[in-house]
Amino acid sequence: MTTKKRSTGLTAVCDAWQLVDIDVTASYPIRPYTAVMAEVAKRIANGQMKCEMVYAEGEHGQFSIAHGASMAGARATTGSSGVGLTYAAELYSPIAGGRCPIQVLVGDRTLDPPGDFGSEHTDCLTMRDNGWIFGWAQDAQEALDNSLMCFRIGEDPDIMLPQIVAMDGYFVTHITQDYEVPDQDLVDRFLPPFKPKFRLDVNNPVIMGPQITPEMGPPLEWDRNVVMQRAKGKIVEVTEEFGRLFGRHYAPFVEEYMTEGAEMVFLLQGAHAVTCKSAVKYLREAGYPVGMLRLRWVRPFPEEALQAIAAKFKVIGVIDTGTSYGAAGGGGVLLVETRASISETPDKPIVQGFTSGLGGEVITHDEFFRMAEMMRKTLEAGQLVQSSTWVNFNDYV
Amino acid sequence: MTVQYEEIKSVKKAPDEEFYLPGHRTCAGCGPAIGYRLIAKAAGRNTIFIGPTGCMYVANTSYACGPWKVPWTHAQITNGGAVASGIEVAFKQLIKKGKIKDEFPNIIVMAGDGGSIDIGVQAASALFYRGHDVLFIMYDNESYANTGIQVSPMTPYGGNTTFTPPGPMIPEGKKLFPKDPMLIFAGGGHPAVKYAATASIGYPVDLMNKVRKGLAFEGPAFLHVHCPCPKGWTYPSDRTIDLAKLAVQTGMWFLYELEDGVRKWSRKVDKLRPVEDYLLGQGRFTHLEPEHVAKLQAWVNERAQVLGLNATLPPVH
Repeated sequence: MTTKKRSTGLTAVCDAWQLVDIDVTASYPIRPYTAVMAEVAKRIANGQMKCEMVYAEGEHGQFSIAHGASMAGARATTGSSGVGLTYAAELYSPIAGGRCPIQVLVGDRTLDPPGDFGSEHTDCLTMRDNGWIFGWAQDAQEALDNSLMCFRIGEDPDIMLPQIVAMDGYFVTHITQDYEVPDQDLVDRFLPPFKPKFRLDVNNPVIMGPQITPEMGPPLEWDRNVVMQRAKGKIVEVTEEFGRLFGRHYAPFVEEYMTEGAEMVFLLQGAHAVTCKSAVKYLREAGYPVGMLRLRWVRPFPEEALQAIAAKFKVIGVIDTGTSYGAAGGGGVLLVETRASISETPDKPIVQGFTSGLGGEVITHDEFFRMAEMMRKTLEAGQLVQSSTWVNFNDYV
Repeated sequence: MTVQYEEIKSVKKAPDEEFYLPGHRTCAGCGPAIGYRLIAKAAGRNTIFIGPTGCMYVANTSYACGPWKVPWTHAQITNGGAVASGIEVAFKQLIKKGKIKDEFPNIIVMAGDGGSIDIGVQAASALFYRGHDVLFIMYDNESYANTGIQVSPMTPYGGNTTFTPPGPMIPEGKKLFPKDPMLIFAGGGHPAVKYAATASIGYPVDLMNKVRKGLAFEGPAFLHVHCPCPKGWTYPSDRTIDLAKLAVQTGMWFLYELEDGVRKWSRKVDKLRPVEDYLLGQGRFTHLEPEHVAKLQAWVNERAQVLGLNATLPPVH
């Protein structure tokens, strides 16, 4: 029986980890993701979960422990936030290149300085180019569901890549929400046991991660690249199957909200989409022809999905809740990737950037209204008025 | 605590089967390679090696010609202890849950001095603290050798490396004295470590038995193995074993075990030979002046006394 539950995004992911019977996890405290490990520890202590939780010596250790466990054939997870994710920077490529499908929960957080607990997407976006599958959940339900889908996609023998289940710190990690915990039977049908083709096994000895000569590296990198592209098809397939089995139907890549008749759209990811939808309703009543697009994945980046719908709109306002100092266009990663995705699309819309919600600040209705007004000015001008805008810093309305 | 293990009585009575095979690219006379062969032989078939980056990674694992007959995995130079921890808990869980039918394997980290006591010290300390059933072996060739011989914390005082070249302003080359890994890892600060030992490739039977003993102890064990390096120390490649023995005879290396914190000497030494006997013929020490040699001798004598070696010590000139 599906169980209705009221708790946080972190607890929801812990529910997913319990359902998939993880074997090993590695902990280290940093806000805001920490509570998931406290929850795992509690469930191990009371017998609900049967897994080993290793108290790592830091995030570098956490990733290394999960990597080792995965090479031995275990379903392994870990998690972190902010500078914890960058402290582990060395391990992203060895884990993905070693094709170890561990899962990392990210409750995102600003990078220092200043010491700020608030949500920002910069922490794991900084680590985006190593071959990890990841995207943001907008609420607790989606966090649980993404965790299940990520295991299925990442552990697929055709994929074998690590995944990040990202969520906005506080907004998703800590706000109490209603969600459903699926049946164990359904989860068992959805996700087969983890049985890697190669593991550390004295009866079938293998060498993992050997030194190679220069000409041997590029074929392996090509393979990682091909698999990352192949993951897109797997995401579509798994998202559809998930919908059939669990009754929750997600857009595989880009959720559209009130895009019918919309000439301009916000494009964003994560929890701020919840506020955005509410703002869009008000804006429509006020006569703004506006809708919303929400990305479910940043790696692989859904360029084909964006290309397929881009021409419906005249202006896309990309909201980055993170920084990429010195990036083309003066905004963040999503602005660069969105512009790159549709650069060759016929009748492509004008893409402008907004940087908002930094430091864990709420993006308020008022700020969405101002962004909509700036997009309206672009629409009227038929060209960019300003390439990108840090909301509240250099607004042009 | 006593443990049962199958003791190897002599080199001749050691098992014939090799698990570290010919075909790798280490230097002629490579001390660490000799060590690897002996360690793998002693550990046997049911063994998994974790090899953090170092010369035993770079020179051994050339794609498709790695010398191991048992599973081997690379770890970063930083994280041998952490990767081994993950492997250990994974085997314990998977066996406990019945997900695999394996017998719990010998899990051995083969880390260089940098990967153990310098950049790898955090992960190693955490492994020892948490008490994983892993044998952590530090093969010590007293430098970062695979990058072209740079100073490590284990380079002796006076050692000439590419980062510590002697010159008029710094006549002795390396000015610092080395760390003491036995004290750091097994000196009481990691209560889970019940067995630790120093060993040398110059004393192969002793080394192989310490490997077996370390594996027999439940929980983490630490071995610190002295492995002369012809390339890094600049000596003819046929002198590796000779130098390994000279190190022990001069007190530049002490052979002992720590079982539950109690020291047991592995060889009876009545009289230490002067350090000059060890330094002579090693290119890395040819620049040393008598005052520097005297400083090294004083250091050896002090260590012998601190460790409680009951032997006649050479005078310090």
